[in-house]
Amino acid sequence: MRQRPGSPDGCDNLLESPTPGRFIRRSLLRETVFGPLDRHPVARTSITGTVVEVRPHTISLRTAAGDKRLILSPRTVAWRGSVIPPARLRAGDGVVVRHFPGRNVAERIWARIGRVTGTIIETDRSELLVDEGPTRRGRQLVRIEAGSFRQIQMRFPRLEAGFLIDVIGTRQEGYLRAVKPATAQPPYRADHLPAAPLISGHLPEPAEGTAVWHEPGEETPGLLGLAYPALDPETNCGHADAGTDEAYAVDPHTAGPGCVRLPYLSIGSAVEIRNECAERSATLPVTSCGAAARLFCDRCVACDTSPRGRIADLTITAFVELGGNLEEGCFNATLRTAG
Amino acid sequence: MWDNAVLGMAREVQVPLLAVLLLGGCAAKARRAIRTRSIAREMGPTALFPVRLHRPAAIVVCASELGLGVGLLVTAGQFGAGPPALAVRSLTVVLFGTAVGALHVLRTRRPAAGCGCFGDLSDTPVNWRTLTRTALLCGAAVAALGAPALHMPASAPQAVVVLGVLVVEVSVLVALSPEFAEVMVRLGYNEPCEVRRLPVARSLTALRASPQWRQYHRNLITREPADVWREGCWRFAVFPGMLAGRRVEVVFAIHLTPRRPQVRVGLLDSLAASRTLPAIPRQRQGELLPAPAGEDSAVL
Repeated sequence: MRQRPGSPDGCDNLLESPTPGRFIRRSLLRETVFGPLDRHPVARTSITGTVVEVRPHTISLRTAAGDKRLILSPRTVAWRGSVIPPARLRAGDGVVVRHFPGRNVAERIWARIGRVTGTIIETDRSELLVDEGPTRRGRQLVRIEAGSFRQIQMRFPRLEAGFLIDVIGTRQEGYLRAVKPATAQPPYRADHLPAAPLISGHLPEPAEGTAVWHEPGEETPGLLGLAYPALDPETNCGHADAGTDEAYAVDPHTAGPGCVRLPYLSIGSAVEIRNECAERSATLPVTSCGAAARLFCDRCVACDTSPRGRIADLTITAFVELGGNLEEGCFNATLRTAG
Repeated sequence: MWDNAVLGMAREVQVPLLAVLLLGGCAAKARRAIRTRSIAREMGPTALFPVRLHRPAAIVVCASELGLGVGLLVTAGQFGAGPPALAVRSLTVVLFGTAVGALHVLRTRRPAAGCGCFGDLSDTPVNWRTLTRTALLCGAAVAALGAPALHMPASAPQAVVVLGVLVVEVSVLVALSPEFAEVMVRLGYNEPCEVRRLPVARSLTALRASPQWRQYHRNLITREPADVWREGCWRFAVFPGMLAGRRVEVVFAIHLTPRRPQVRVGLLDSLAASRTLPAIPRQRQGELLPAPAGEDSAVL
């Protein structure tokens, strides 16, 4: 979103506001009225950085907080397009590492992992041009690996313009080399969402559905938070910026509320997310607009079959901290507003 | 003779009936366009056009319905009888005839799409009921082609018969309309406050009429809030202020009820807050959220 930055009347954007502090203060200010939030802290077990050196039993990383060295054990799983021995990681690979709580031993390492989620606008056999929409990174080029084409087409049978796609792969210069489907393709065109359920009275709490992750883009590496699909349309991302000339395949802001009705929140609001597969939960702040998630009325089958619809688009760090495996793409989740 | 008079009257009433339906359809589409802030949001058969033509197609459909609805009403009586009435009614036949064809194609190519005939109410996928209804309206438009100018029934029994025809026709249309069930649901619908849309200005107006505002407004430095945000059923507005010689932030929480909302208030000592929340002034470059309190915990 490229909007009037930081205006109380405009669209909120944590990254582009000159006063991001006002978003951070919101939970504190809320507490003066409604009392302390019931926070569920999460153990910090993830590290984002770049590989400096890989030795048989250790891996050295360069991170924003300085260099770190982690122990590689026989239980360490590394992924770069597929599961590989940790020794095959290369210097210069961008990695996300989850280590065992309280120990300096790497549990999982994801190298060069990327994801493209959006509407297909052009196809040329195994090459796709995908529009991620105004809240994400615009247009992305996806090349599907020959060996992965069949697997992806099994879950995304309509690789045609106008249909949705969500694939995981490795980041290359200028494109994503897709190696596996993140979820299954919704059966409708991106501009033709099913009607939202009509709920009378109060919204059910907690909301149930799918939690997914997104690439950091312009976000700070290691940011713990989520892109929320239902930001207050009056002060947040209720509409695309009228000031831009960019044409999007589908503007999620005008696509309706999606198939899960979620309470309207704002940047800085706190929500409690629970990974039902790993049985881990955390209180996280809303850090950006996740309107694009409303386009996907899909299910996650990471552990059990989740109810339809995406309730949170987590930052890569938050997803890993909550016990999610990035290559799986999603986990079954419940969400409740904190407080 | 009497039969012919009744038949003539039954044909005459098709004109206002069609006019009301056309104007209703146009109003519902306009309401949807205003609510979603986009007329380009596809409405039924406009989805068959390329994306760049959605907006013009939607405008043409709305304008046709409005023009023909008004035209039918204006030419229903003696005024405009003759060629103008025939022209308007012929165009109405063309519109409904085109609609039957377009809905058939829509059903084949986009089985999940609603007809969009009455905006938000018409999200149910096109089925035989929708198609039959449109074909019936096309028939009504054909019947109205040569109908005389609208006039009062000659006798009470004639009026009863015409009314009966109208009631039966409307009942059939209702039975063929998936929108009717949607209307019934919405009549008993209580919108959850968590998803109720209420302009910020309205919340601030309600705030300024509340006792909490009267209690604190003399302590406020500005009358405009420094920040406004929403969490579920509550909208928050923060004002900088001075209280007992100390800088404070006055936080008002306004419930998102359209009338006489509940208002709560809280005070934050700005100086004390800056001491207890070191993350606010201590954001390092590139760090947008406070650092975790400890190595093993992370909160807001």
